[in-house]
Amino acid sequence: MATGLRKKSFMNEIRLRNYRCFRKDQTARLAPLTLLVGENSTGKTSFLAIIRALWEFANDYRIPDFKEDPYDLGSFDEIAHFRGGRGGRAETFDAGFSTTKKNLENGASKPLSRKFDVTFGKDGAVPVPVARRFGYGDTRIEDRFEEDIEENHIYVLRVETHRGRWEKRVSRGIRYALQDHMPPPHFFYRRLSVSGEDHAGDPGFVPLDGSPSFCSEDEEILREFPWFDLSSSGVRPFASAPVRSRPNRTYDPSRPTRDPEGDYVPMYLADVFTRRKREWTQLQKRLQDFGKAAGLFDEISLKRLGQRESEPFQIQIRKHGNKLKGPLHNLIDVGYGVSQALLVITELLRPDAPPLFLLQQPEVHLHPRAQAALGSLFCQIASKERQLIIETHSDNLIDRVRMDVRDGEVALKPEDVSILFFERDGLDVHIHSLSVDGQGNVLNAPDSYRKFFMEETTRSLGL
Amino acid sequence: MCAIVDVNVSNEIFGDNRPDAGEKFLERLNSGTLRLVVSKKLLAELNYGKAKQWIQQGINAGIVQQETSSTVDEREGKLSREGICISNDIHVIALAQISGARLLYSNDIALHEDFGNKNLIDRPRGKVYSTNRNKDFTNTHERLLNNRNLCRNR
Repeated sequence: MATGLRKKSFMNEIRLRNYRCFRKDQTARLAPLTLLVGENSTGKTSFLAIIRALWEFANDYRIPDFKEDPYDLGSFDEIAHFRGGRGGRAETFDAGFSTTKKNLENGASKPLSRKFDVTFGKDGAVPVPVARRFGYGDTRIEDRFEEDIEENHIYVLRVETHRGRWEKRVSRGIRYALQDHMPPPHFFYRRLSVSGEDHAGDPGFVPLDGSPSFCSEDEEILREFPWFDLSSSGVRPFASAPVRSRPNRTYDPSRPTRDPEGDYVPMYLADVFTRRKREWTQLQKRLQDFGKAAGLFDEISLKRLGQRESEPFQIQIRKHGNKLKGPLHNLIDVGYGVSQALLVITELLRPDAPPLFLLQQPEVHLHPRAQAALGSLFCQIASKERQLIIETHSDNLIDRVRMDVRDGEVALKPEDVSILFFERDGLDVHIHSLSVDGQGNVLNAPDSYRKFFMEETTRSLGL
Repeated sequence: MCAIVDVNVSNEIFGDNRPDAGEKFLERLNSGTLRLVVSKKLLAELNYGKAKQWIQQGINAGIVQQETSSTVDEREGKLSREGICISNDIHVIALAQISGARLLYSNDIALHEDFGNKNLIDRPRGKVYSTNRNKDFTNTHERLLNNRNLCRNR
């Protein structure tokens, strides 16, 4: 079930307006592997935060918490775009995404696109969704909260099919309470009706703009609407923090619950090592393959300091010499890069990896060789079923991606890679969607892209 | 606008004592208004370390376009068999045909003739940026760098 839904949940476009530093309507192309680049404070982390928020709201109906780790964006006033002076602060901000899949119907040439957009308003200091719009082909479903003159809250459900547009309005009387989840509109299809109307079928839908009466055909279309829904699978995107937890000499076993800093990774490794031997063998091999390619380590193993599962353990690393195997070292005694990379690579390589990764500077503390190896690993992992969105400042990582795709070293095609260049433009930020071609060339790059690097190179060469 | 630089003049653009014509050419490259096109063979022939470093950075920045070697090699083989080219830099002609680049910086007379041959380079015709006669930045040089019609859409 979840696998099929994952395929449907591949995001290929993000839309933003009045969100953080993005004032104007922005559209950014996402691919199985998307690299976010640009100077500091150009909104890359905010971009990751809104992707997680949208993904969870669309798939799990979870009302976004903009203060959840690793993205603490603050209150509404920090999140809605602020121009200062007369421009003031935006009263709402909008965000949305699209997914596209092939239209399997006979003779259909256009792919079918699913869209999801949200308008966030302010409830006290907190941003809350005040309107949602779902789209699929020529069907649109929108629900929103409005206020009447007596300050009653009205729930408005609008639907549109190829036949016309209809609306239901329901007064809730009191201000809606902020909850963790907001059920999808189909939850309200049959529960809502306008007071005083009581017709057969679905009486609540009132035709708009001269549309015909809502009929069973429209009802069928709405029933067939393909919702984004992973609510029963418990799957969440994995969002890593730019700084990961420090290694310890010994670890006490505890529950391996995911966290952005990676505190859980040693526990997860110990859990697999102790209880799932076959899985451990596979994971260990994959970790070691990466360790060798990155020049970080040749072997990784766990050492229990007792007979029972509850007793402490250590993570050990071995780096081979030219002819000798070399001694095993405690994780804390080898370079910091190893423990910092371990979170990201373990999460990527574990068999139950989530369908969406949002990584902030996975290259920190890594030597350029290891950064490049990370690029190769991303190319191997990224697919339409496992989407990686990575904020990076690493040339080595980006270069490796470009080269691996060009040289056909991985299944990833040029169109499966997107480079989003975040460029400051006065008080706003503009997102440029760049791509690579089969020759490894960067396409659609504005003159400002890597201008700093060109100037440094030109100066360095004395040109 | 896309251009090809003959390896024999790469020192005029990336060398230490650049003539004015080479200096202005580099300025246009750095500004992004002029895009350099390279092939693997051309890069391999470049013996100027500075040129190689600059080009590598330019590829990363998306202001230098690198063509697939197999495609260019295949076209070079075809041109060799046809025997139309008089210069021994057939791969430069092949690169221009594949990439659509229509400006050539070169001082090789034979290559100039090939680049100007309508049967080899056409729609638009090829133009040559040369310092054989004058190493200063002349009006002719300026007109060439301002010409917006020197790249064929692929």
